Amino acid sequence: MIEFIDIVKKFNVGTPDETTLFDGFNLKIEKGEFVCVVGSNGSGKTTMLNLLCGSLPVDSGKIVLDGKNITKMNEYVRAKYIGRVFQDPQKGSAAKLTILENMALADNKNKRYLLTPAINKKRMDYYKSLLEECNMGLENRLDVQVGSLSGGQRQALALVIANMSDIDILILDEHTAALDPKSSERIMQLTDMFVKEKKATALMVTHNLRYAVEYGTRLIMMDKGRIVLDKAGEEKQNTKIDDILYQFNQISIECGN
Amino acid sequence: MSSVLACMDVFLRDGLMYSILALGFYISFSILDFADLSVEGTVLLGGVSYSLLVCKGVNPWLAVIVAFVLGSLAGCVTGLLHVKLKIRPLLCGILVSTALISVNLVLAVVGNGGSFNGEGALSTISFSRNDPTVLRTFPASLIPDKTGAFNLRELITFLVVALIFKWILDWYLKTKNGLLLRATGCNEQYVSMLAQNPGRSKITGLAISNGYAAVAGALIATSRANANQGMGIGMIVIGLASVIIGLSLFGKLRFLKPTTMVILGSIVYQACLAIATYLGVPSAYNKIIMAVLFTVALVFSNSIKKGASKA
Ligand SMILES: Nc1ncnc2c1ncn2[C@@H]1O[C@H](COP(=O)(O)OP(=O)(O)O)[C@@H](O)[C@H]1O
Ligand SMILES: [Mg+2]
Repeated sequence: MIEFIDIVKKFNVGTPDETTLFDGFNLKIEKGEFVCVVGSNGSGKTTMLNLLCGSLPVDSGKIVLDGKNITKMNEYVRAKYIGRVFQDPQKGSAAKLTILENMALADNKNKRYLLTPAINKKRMDYYKSLLEECNMGLENRLDVQVGSLSGGQRQALALVIANMSDIDILILDEHTAALDPKSSERIMQLTDMFVKEKKATALMVTHNLRYAVEYGTRLIMMDKGRIVLDKAGEEKQNTKIDDILYQFNQISIECGN
Repeated sequence: MSSVLACMDVFLRDGLMYSILALGFYISFSILDFADLSVEGTVLLGGVSYSLLVCKGVNPWLAVIVAFVLGSLAGCVTGLLHVKLKIRPLLCGILVSTALISVNLVLAVVGNGGSFNGEGALSTISFSRNDPTVLRTFPASLIPDKTGAFNLRELITFLVVALIFKWILDWYLKTKNGLLLRATGCNEQYVSMLAQNPGRSKITGLAISNGYAAVAGALIATSRANANQGMGIGMIVIGLASVIIGLSLFGKLRFLKPTTMVILGSIVYQACLAIATYLGVPSAYNKIIMAVLFTVALVFSNSIKKGASKA
């Protein structure tokens, strides 16, 4: 279970630009939930994920994971339990390494990185089988530098990499935003498959209301650092795009976009 | 004709000796994207510590290893300043190389019989004719000293040392730890998501690269038969120019490993300097030529990068 308790997060503290994004933010996510998060730009979705992953510190409040207070834990320590795909396709892999090298690194997550050979040829078939599921022809390009892949291919690789180890939490931040509609569809299906397979708790930020309605077990809408809509269970399953579109337009219009 | 050969002898020797420094820069500058200025201090630290030990009769190969270890420790300090105190790379290098000026001075003076005040003896450590440098010890001593214009023994010894350090680096970069280092250089957050501390990886890289710089210092001292306090000056330009020339000139040759390109770059760079001297440019102008060559290399590598991104 993930708990955000009375979170306060400010930016540019002590400068004229000081802004308070979260002021007593609370959210509780049960184990195994697949939460879709929608909201206007700047409503704090990415920041919420950054706080959970430890990429940003909180100003006050607690973040609790399965009863354990992880508020002070370093990003790389929390990462043991977390797989994450970023909004920016470049962030999910190392550009100068090949697909094979990236996967070999990810394959070793939660073990030690010692002075033993990084690449185990015996694992290649396993890597290929993972890539085949993406349907992007990556399985035949293991020796290509990741930096030369398209945004969609890189995002697919990032999704595979994030799921290569045993994770409890899967974090997805508009991970289909940079993709063409067809790749986007494929990546969403894969995402759903991974979440079910891993029985992971998932948090997915998306701008695509259809995905938010179609996938997941819970739907949250955010605005200005607050949760303005929260549907779970049956209520979520019965939600149609039109039901949330009006509210979404309201908050988007307020923001001027 | 013989002066052409003598010129070749010089640039091959210098190219090989500085190639280990360049390999160090390959780690810090190319892999980690960290412009490490501490190298001016660590080259000298390597030269001074090696020379001191050799003058005391310690086996010179052991002295090379000690130089590596001391250089690595200095590199750790640079890394710790950056990772723990969040000081910018350039400043970390300036801090460490500045502090090392005192360390090297005191080390040399004390080694020459002076006091810990840094007074009472020379700050240059010179080898006598009998001091067992790497060139006068097994196995290098088995190689004939000279053939014609070539200082054969020195060339072969430096070549072998350069190749050994290249191979060690090639091997390391293929291990899990080495691959993590390469990943740290291009995407720290990715390394964090692999549940590894990117700071630790950076410190490791800086330790290795400064260890390499110190080994280059040991070879420079061997070749010049002394270690003086001015030895570190210009090392940043030499190392960086070698890396950039090597990677941009030979980057298209995919069968070459980057480490090989860097060694070749170091030789090419020294060859250019030697040719300038051969053509009669007074040695006082050396540093200008170095800077000009470096500029040409930078412009060259920028235009290659642009070409690649267009393609
Ligand atoms: N590192 C930062 N420094 C300053 N302000 C930030 C930073 N990160 C986020 N913000 C501010 O917090 C608000 C929410 O940003 P973000 O969480 O990225 O929104 P979303 O992902 O919902 O579009 C924005 O108004 C942004 O200006
Ligand atoms: Mg965002």
